[in-house]
Amino acid sequence: MPATKSKSAKSKSSKSTAPSSNGAAPILRQHAEEQFATELAVLADADDRQRPPNWNLSPWAVATYLMGGTVGDTEISPKYVGQRRLMEVAIATLATDRALLLYGIPGTGKSWVSEHLAAAISGDSTRLIQGTAGTSEEAIRYGWNYAELLAKGPSFQAIVPSPLMNAMSDGKIARVEELTRIPADVQDTLITVLSEKTLPIAELGEEVQAVKGFNLIATANNRDKGVNELSSALKRRFNTVILPVPRHADDEVQIVEKRVESLGRALELPAEAPALTEIRRVVTIFRELRSGVTEDGKTKVKSPSGTLSTAEAISVVSSGMALAAHFGDGSLSAADLAAGIYGAIVKDPVQDAVVWKEYLETVAKDRDDWRDLYRACRELG
Amino acid sequence: MTVTVFGIRHHGPGSARSLARSLQDFQPDIILVEGPPEGDAAVPFVAQAGMKPPVALLVYAPDQLQQASFYPFAEFSPEWQALRYALEREIPVRFMDLPQTNRLALRAKQEEKGEVEVSQEKSEEKPEGEPDEEDSPELLRRSLPADPLSWMAEAAGYGDSERWWEHLVEQRQDGTALFDAILEAMTALREEVEKKHPPNLENPLDRLEAQREAHMRQTIRQAQKEGFGAIAVVCGAWHAPALVEPLPTRKSDQELLKGLPKLKVQATWIPWTYGRLASSSGYGAGITSPGWYEHLWQSTGSGDRPTETAARAAIQWMTQVARLLREEDLDASSASVIEAVRLAEALAALRESARPSLEEFNEAAQTIFCFGDPAPMELIHQKLIVNDRLGQVPADTPLVPLQQDLQRQQKRLRLKPQPMVKVLKLDLRKPLDLGRSQLLHRLNLLEIPWGEVRSARSQGTFKEVWELRWEPELSLKVIEAGVWGNTVESAATASVKSQAEKALFLADLTNLLDQVLLAALNTVISPLIERLQEVAAIASDVTHLMEALPPLVNVLRYRDVRQTDSAAVAHVVDGLVTRICIGLPGACASLDDDAAKQMVHRINHTHSALKLLQQDSHLQSWLTTLQQLGNRTNLHGLVTGRCCRMLLDEGTLDPTEAARRLGLVLSLTTDPTQAAVWVEGFLQGSGLLLIHDDAIWQVLDDWVTQLPGETFIALLPLLRRTFANFSDPERRQMGERVRLGRQKVTTEEREYDRDSADAALPLIAQLLGLQPPSTTSQG
Repeated sequence: MPATKSKSAKSKSSKSTAPSSNGAAPILRQHAEEQFATELAVLADADDRQRPPNWNLSPWAVATYLMGGTVGDTEISPKYVGQRRLMEVAIATLATDRALLLYGIPGTGKSWVSEHLAAAISGDSTRLIQGTAGTSEEAIRYGWNYAELLAKGPSFQAIVPSPLMNAMSDGKIARVEELTRIPADVQDTLITVLSEKTLPIAELGEEVQAVKGFNLIATANNRDKGVNELSSALKRRFNTVILPVPRHADDEVQIVEKRVESLGRALELPAEAPALTEIRRVVTIFRELRSGVTEDGKTKVKSPSGTLSTAEAISVVSSGMALAAHFGDGSLSAADLAAGIYGAIVKDPVQDAVVWKEYLETVAKDRDDWRDLYRACRELG
Repeated sequence: MTVTVFGIRHHGPGSARSLARSLQDFQPDIILVEGPPEGDAAVPFVAQAGMKPPVALLVYAPDQLQQASFYPFAEFSPEWQALRYALEREIPVRFMDLPQTNRLALRAKQEEKGEVEVSQEKSEEKPEGEPDEEDSPELLRRSLPADPLSWMAEAAGYGDSERWWEHLVEQRQDGTALFDAILEAMTALREEVEKKHPPNLENPLDRLEAQREAHMRQTIRQAQKEGFGAIAVVCGAWHAPALVEPLPTRKSDQELLKGLPKLKVQATWIPWTYGRLASSSGYGAGITSPGWYEHLWQSTGSGDRPTETAARAAIQWMTQVARLLREEDLDASSASVIEAVRLAEALAALRESARPSLEEFNEAAQTIFCFGDPAPMELIHQKLIVNDRLGQVPADTPLVPLQQDLQRQQKRLRLKPQPMVKVLKLDLRKPLDLGRSQLLHRLNLLEIPWGEVRSARSQGTFKEVWELRWEPELSLKVIEAGVWGNTVESAATASVKSQAEKALFLADLTNLLDQVLLAALNTVISPLIERLQEVAAIASDVTHLMEALPPLVNVLRYRDVRQTDSAAVAHVVDGLVTRICIGLPGACASLDDDAAKQMVHRINHTHSALKLLQQDSHLQSWLTTLQQLGNRTNLHGLVTGRCCRMLLDEGTLDPTEAARRLGLVLSLTTDPTQAAVWVEGFLQGSGLLLIHDDAIWQVLDDWVTQLPGETFIALLPLLRRTFANFSDPERRQMGERVRLGRQKVTTEEREYDRDSADAALPLIAQLLGLQPPSTTSQG
């Protein structure tokens, strides 16, 4: 399939030249393999272990890239903060040519991990299919260039390959984001690809067979459960790794603080940088409700229906900052946070309201330094 | 004359396998095993048919039953294999550790001095892992670091010593040369450790270690003296360097062992469980995964070609996991088994170990069988990895201490086990009777149902009536209960702990707490209350909360509880009441007749519990909730009616308002059945009250009298439904009261029927124990 290959090569070259032709306008967000190019190069140099066919790095080096470490004199920054064993399972899965499904509540870094895995293994994280309710079979298999098709009839030249098809013929990693958002009948297109490692082109009586090194990383959201549940045939072809929420409060506080700071700068909010104590309180509330146990481990509480991810904690704090800046005295107070917290937690007006009220009365009320927050929340609820 | 030392890890299947093979090659004519010499007499039982591990060798002091040591053995324990080998070959086998006679005496002395606070649980753990850190109770510390093996593990690039040992020794399939290597490694390690942390003979724990090794050496010397040619010594790897030739001078050892205190001890076998072999149970030399070790032991028993057997063990394990999941209705196909084995192997390769260990298998199983979900792994852990099961001992093994303790208590409390039913009335103010009651309650907690309570002392009385009957199978239950502890008290405590961990429902826990207080198991009260708090906080079902409340209030009001504990219970009660008040209105919505009946039942109980509690704030919020319920029109009539009635009784609802509501409900527009159940709820169980309580009577009376005649006739059937439930005399009295009308309310004049009164007098006199009055009676 020479045509297919040249096409992918072309699109790649055009992509790499685009920024320079546009002049100095900075790119909003770089791909992982570009942003961490030096780290990847250092790892590849130092890596003398066995690499699976068509992998840029050995599994061991991929694990180091994700979890961070030191190679020679170069510090490798950690990309994933959490349990090492999860990343090891993910990498081992890809090495045994099983597809990988990253599963978890929104905001736990599934897409982030998937991007970095693809970048480290294939050196290219751009073979991406975004799953939506409108994703069609063409987006997963291949489409047609209708001008070519009408002019010359069905041929390889007339095929517009999907990122998946490209990945198969190049022996690279393809990514599918939000697999469970894709309608069930379209999802099942993947079954043949994953079990037979081939993509038939019925119109030409041909097929594209996957080259060694091809694999698929999908992400799915377990809050969408039941929307487009994976068929058991498909589910069976994935190894599933569930990414949990941050285990330690300090990690989470740090993540929230960093993100809020950078968000605040981007939105040019005049409010002071939020006090660490306020962030800590928000994170504590979220963690306690999410895990169902207070941080001291002594009291259990009920969990609301919402996810309460780290990402939502970030949004509560930043909206609190906006409130403080525009309507308050400029510094973040409990009253600025209360509305945001209530909105994030009470997603179901009946059940969640009870959960929240119980939490306020049994946990928040007893904490002496939480008086202001308790009062502010009481007024709202 | 050769002495060969085999350094093993207790309960290590790899060690056991290598040991069995090495013994074949070595052909010893005597085996010395690390263990208490008092157990020598019990060794022959090992070969009996009824002996099925896991079992434990129990050494105890008959006069001080709390002083005891357990030496658990599994099929895959190297010591067990050594014992079996010796018995099969009919060569002598001896235990060589420092006798428990001395060790228990030492410990008893230390406890007396108050140096060590050894809890029962702690003191049970005896046989040491390769480093003896678990021998050191909380307060005293060995001079050695806690886990010297971790030095070697770190040097080899492992995170923890368990994993390192597992990879190097336990998973090894070949290796008769293994023991030389272990000996060499341990010699180097001990030299290094002792250089940095020299043992200090003033420290009682270091001294004990030295004494133990001295005694082991003495035993070896004794065997040499008796002329044995090939002496095999099986001990924890840590001790191995101390036992090899050349042995230090006999004199220094004799000096160390001089003047040790003594205590009379006995040894016997008792059944043990894998659960108590697991380190999670608090057993110091415990292993995390007995079931997995058993699998390793069984699947690689023959093993001529190590790599193949290992691969087969992996596949068998994964298949077992799959079958277990299938039994529990979770999908696990053969294709998944294949993938899981592959993933486990890939993971092992990524972590640079030769073959997957349990960790890799678990991760592979979670990823592939459970779709990443950790919940089913808990099942695998319980059923396969720990695989809790009870061992068996032959029927003719000597009495266990729990039996002896029970006999002693029976004697002390003058309670004889008898097969026929006997009723026992106890006055709990007397110490003897209180002791009896506590013993019986404790036995009940151990599921040894010797007695059954006929009348409880829930209302704070001093009487308790028991029905006793000793069935023969209770003796068996006592032996089984021996797993929990050596005295009735400690066993009951341990059993309650485990019951509390398993209990899912709040009511179970509150009842357990009540029983524990009756049984006076004071040490377990606090943990139980903690557990109660935990469960109470997540219990979402208001009905469960309501069921849990009355026993707790009982505890607060009537039981003898320490100050701190009662504060904790009060805290739980506070939480319960708050949440019942928040949740009750929701829980009362859309109930059918049966559910409403039960709900009213619970409301009644909660109400009386709160009244008993006499705490104004709680009562206030409870009444507010009742008011909410009473005001709602869309609830089941029984509930609203009942709530209005309670409010009336409490004075929150004034009588005119109550009458107005009664009128509203009974107005003709209301659905008749709804109205009927409302009245039923309102008047429930109050036949007598209606006669004697003017307020309610007045409400009802006011309402009836203001009804127009026709309406009254229309409503009559509904009212009849309620009144038909009252007893005949009650109804007759009501009728009389109606006939007398209002004036009767104030005046109490009544026409006495003197004849009838006289007729009753002799009987009353007899009841009161007086002389019958002299008036003549008319029969």
